[in-house]
Amino acid sequence: MSTLTLYMQYIVNGLTLGAIYSLIALGYTMVYGILKFINFAHGDILMVGAFIGLLVYTALTGDAAPGAWTLSAFFIAMLVSMIACAILGMLIERIAYKPLRNANRLAPLLSAIGVSFILSNGAAWIFGTQSRRFPYPFENDPIHIGSITITPHQIVVIVVSVAMMLLLTFFVNRTRMGKAMRATSLDQSTSQLMGINVNRVISLTFAIGSALAAVGGILAAFDFRVYPSMGTMTGLKAFVAAVIGGIGNIQGAMIGGVLLGILEAVGAPLLHIPNGMKDTVAFAVLIIVLLVKPDGILGKNEREKV
Amino acid sequence: MLNFFQLILIYAGIYALMAIGQNCITGYTGMLSLCHAGFFCIGSYATAIMCKTFGLSFWLSLPVAAIATGLVGLLIGIPTLRLKGDYLCIATLGLGEIIRNIATNVNPVGYNSIPRASLFGYQFASRNKLAFIVLIWVFVLIFYILFQQLAHSRIGRAMIAVREDEVAAQSNGINVTKYKISSFVLGAAMGGIAGCMQTAYTLTVQPGSYTFMVSVMVLCTVVLGGMGNGKAVILGAFIIQFISYLPQLTGLTNVIPAQAKQMIYGLLLVVMMLWRPQGILGRDRFRYGDPRTRREKIAAFFRREGRNAEGGAV
Amino acid sequence: MRKAVAFLLIAFICIAGVAAGGSGEGGSGDTYKIGFIGPLTGDNANYGIRCSNAAKLAISEINAAGGIGGKQLELIAEDSEGTVDKALASYEKLAYMDEVCAIIGPVFTSPALAVAQRCQEDGIVMISPSATHKDVTAQPATNADGLNYVFRTVPSDALQSEVAGHYFYEVLGYRNLASLYAMNDYSQGLALGMKETFEALGGKVVAEETCMVGDKDFRTQLTQIKAANPEAIYIPNYTVEDAQILEQAAQLGVAVQFLSSDGFSDPEIYNLAPDFTDGVVYVGPAQAEASSILTDFQAAYGEAYNGDAPDSFATNSYDATYIIAGAIERAGSADTKAIRDEVAATKDFQGANGIMNFAANGDLVASQGVYEVDGITPVYVGSFQVVDGHIVQVD
Repeated sequence: MSTLTLYMQYIVNGLTLGAIYSLIALGYTMVYGILKFINFAHGDILMVGAFIGLLVYTALTGDAAPGAWTLSAFFIAMLVSMIACAILGMLIERIAYKPLRNANRLAPLLSAIGVSFILSNGAAWIFGTQSRRFPYPFENDPIHIGSITITPHQIVVIVVSVAMMLLLTFFVNRTRMGKAMRATSLDQSTSQLMGINVNRVISLTFAIGSALAAVGGILAAFDFRVYPSMGTMTGLKAFVAAVIGGIGNIQGAMIGGVLLGILEAVGAPLLHIPNGMKDTVAFAVLIIVLLVKPDGILGKNEREKV
Repeated sequence: MLNFFQLILIYAGIYALMAIGQNCITGYTGMLSLCHAGFFCIGSYATAIMCKTFGLSFWLSLPVAAIATGLVGLLIGIPTLRLKGDYLCIATLGLGEIIRNIATNVNPVGYNSIPRASLFGYQFASRNKLAFIVLIWVFVLIFYILFQQLAHSRIGRAMIAVREDEVAAQSNGINVTKYKISSFVLGAAMGGIAGCMQTAYTLTVQPGSYTFMVSVMVLCTVVLGGMGNGKAVILGAFIIQFISYLPQLTGLTNVIPAQAKQMIYGLLLVVMMLWRPQGILGRDRFRYGDPRTRREKIAAFFRREGRNAEGGAV
Repeated sequence: MRKAVAFLLIAFICIAGVAAGGSGEGGSGDTYKIGFIGPLTGDNANYGIRCSNAAKLAISEINAAGGIGGKQLELIAEDSEGTVDKALASYEKLAYMDEVCAIIGPVFTSPALAVAQRCQEDGIVMISPSATHKDVTAQPATNADGLNYVFRTVPSDALQSEVAGHYFYEVLGYRNLASLYAMNDYSQGLALGMKETFEALGGKVVAEETCMVGDKDFRTQLTQIKAANPEAIYIPNYTVEDAQILEQAAQLGVAVQFLSSDGFSDPEIYNLAPDFTDGVVYVGPAQAEASSILTDFQAAYGEAYNGDAPDSFATNSYDATYIIAGAIERAGSADTKAIRDEVAATKDFQGANGIMNFAANGDLVASQGVYEVDGITPVYVGSFQVVDGHIVQVD
């Protein structure tokens, strides 16, 4: 295998991981853009999404062999899980964050940690701690292109992620509600004066972010398995991706996610260091990116007003 | 029961030391840093290596741990402190993860059978917790006083000025970078000292103990107590540790599953934050330019305490 | 403000006071208390929960059969979250509040090292079902009598990796191996030990790749291993990582033999990667010939815990519980020193994992079993020992 194809293979692998990071990063970025706070419970919503998706999918298909029905069941499960997570996200916002909206910026962070504890341990209590496999809803025989191997599930992950991102971009840029969202993220009180229902916008933001997390969770489930603490590290990485891209910026989150995924796959072999150190490489690049562009790749360079 | 309570006091003391450092960084200078797990890790490892590999005594390892951590703080502070707000937070979070990742890759087992600390021939054995409580809380007290003095000094006021408005501070002749870095280094060194204490107690160092959750919990300690308030963060450390061990202390863990224990912890965090979003004691309001002399202040303090004591008796 | 603080403090004191009343009967006379320390929450909770379930099962069996000398056994399981400080807190509670007469656990090496030091110091028997690192049983006996209080029912990684290295070289005839292991004490200990043995025999480990526990994507490592072209790949990891490695290897077309360790004895692997386990060879606990203890245990475990299947660590935990129960019975009291003497005197204990003995330092003396997976069923090849630098099949 030549070095070039080797690296092509790494990049293909990294893209899959990156697509998942991007989807989850979107949720962080949207919430941050509007509320300026890091929703630490986001990773756990992803886990809940994966569990709901898995439960619905197994209930629908049982032991059915992969085919058209399992594929549609997969998308039904995804839809149910998105709706459930959207409701969960709104509920969490209403109970744990809304009362703290005018408090010190760090107060909701602590509240979010509490919610994260409740969700992940609640899931461990209900579902048990063992990992579960998400069965492939389609035949997953690897496809060989030259000496590069790609599996159908990797393609599905990438395609669904891109579709979700396009949908979100359309929603934010082209609809009334999206406009309201952008206005709220620019200036909350002014938007309120302009007749925008800020509470509604914030609820919606949480709903959309959580629904995307659910999709991310289900797509991640193929490679990650489903277990109660699956969201912790994934969530953290996705958050990092959101920051690399420029937090608060939707395109930035996508770019950041893909970049982080590829970095994880390519970084260690490129530098000839043990693969156990790939997180070090990824985080080091993150810091370098921030030093060069202190507001992330696509972040707005806000000059401080004096 | 009493024994377990003593343990909580030890852990609370260790967290209080870290919280004092975090408070210096976040509370006074207003930098959102999530790196204390990393500093804690370096302090623990420095102590373990000094005591075990080089055979140094604990008392010599302590300054080594503090200086090593401070140096690391300086090294990572100089480039990253240019970043603002959440970007700084994420860069420091990344550094914390890098430190843990490297520690794990160098040696996933860590160190064990680290020699005990001793003072004038007295050995600090882990089973004698009272000695540890005294040791750790003496340090907490010393550093509380030191940082309290710092906060009320010229340096502390400069730090607070940086927190409140960087540009204004700069235009008033305050060297923002200098104060940011010194505050970061001081905070980092506190993490190192806490790590040193932790090693002295557990005698085992393991990279898995220094996850980013530790950094988050330290930040939470500061937020929960009251940012920029010296007394409050120590109280916060005690409360965080207390509620986290409450189910074990009360023997509740014999009855409820472990997950429920964690859920109670999460619930308590949410409830406490909703109940007092500004922290339990809130922010310390300095009364600059208090015309009273020190003696008068002390007298006033004792009058107040006396009143409280009477109130408490009734 | 002050009111709020006062309220908080009073609330805490009240709770503490109520609790003190509730847990006051720590040393009551009608039960023998046995402690358990392991990760019951967090990333590795699965291993802790399985081990504690197995211990619970053993205790309910003993109690159902009338207990010990008319007294019932009670298991108190405490969470270590896999970290040293939490494990020490659990130890503190078990040793001083509950005054247990022996401790099963901790499950992972680092907490086990920390707790072993305390057990040696305080003179409380500790039997770890799964801490494999060599230092666990190397803690100095710091108690007044200078006796060893730390035992384990899992072979030290040195023992297992020696058998593995010899088996791969001598029996399977491999000369070029690759290894892919997680950076934790368990996997690294086995991989490095196997490498040492294997290379001393004349083989070569051509690629050594690492990952972190909790990693999901092993494609980079597998691609690198594929490029090194080994005859087989040694993956001494926990189930979740191994399942992903096997699956991703198949996807990348890495079609070589996979070798593993006792982590693979966890039946969960057959749920996670059922299509990829065929042909895997792993070294695990030996089985006693003509004994139904293991199958009975597996059946009882499945019945008690919703069809969940125990892994080898849970089986070790089950054996440890019976060893402690036997020791308490022979000692006839909850005296920790008497119990220690009886545990140390355990001879040819017939457990679910075969015949067990303890060395003077508390290490398990046992031969190692080798299994080959056929589809999704492990087939027992036999048990092996290394004698005079050569592997010998014991039965």
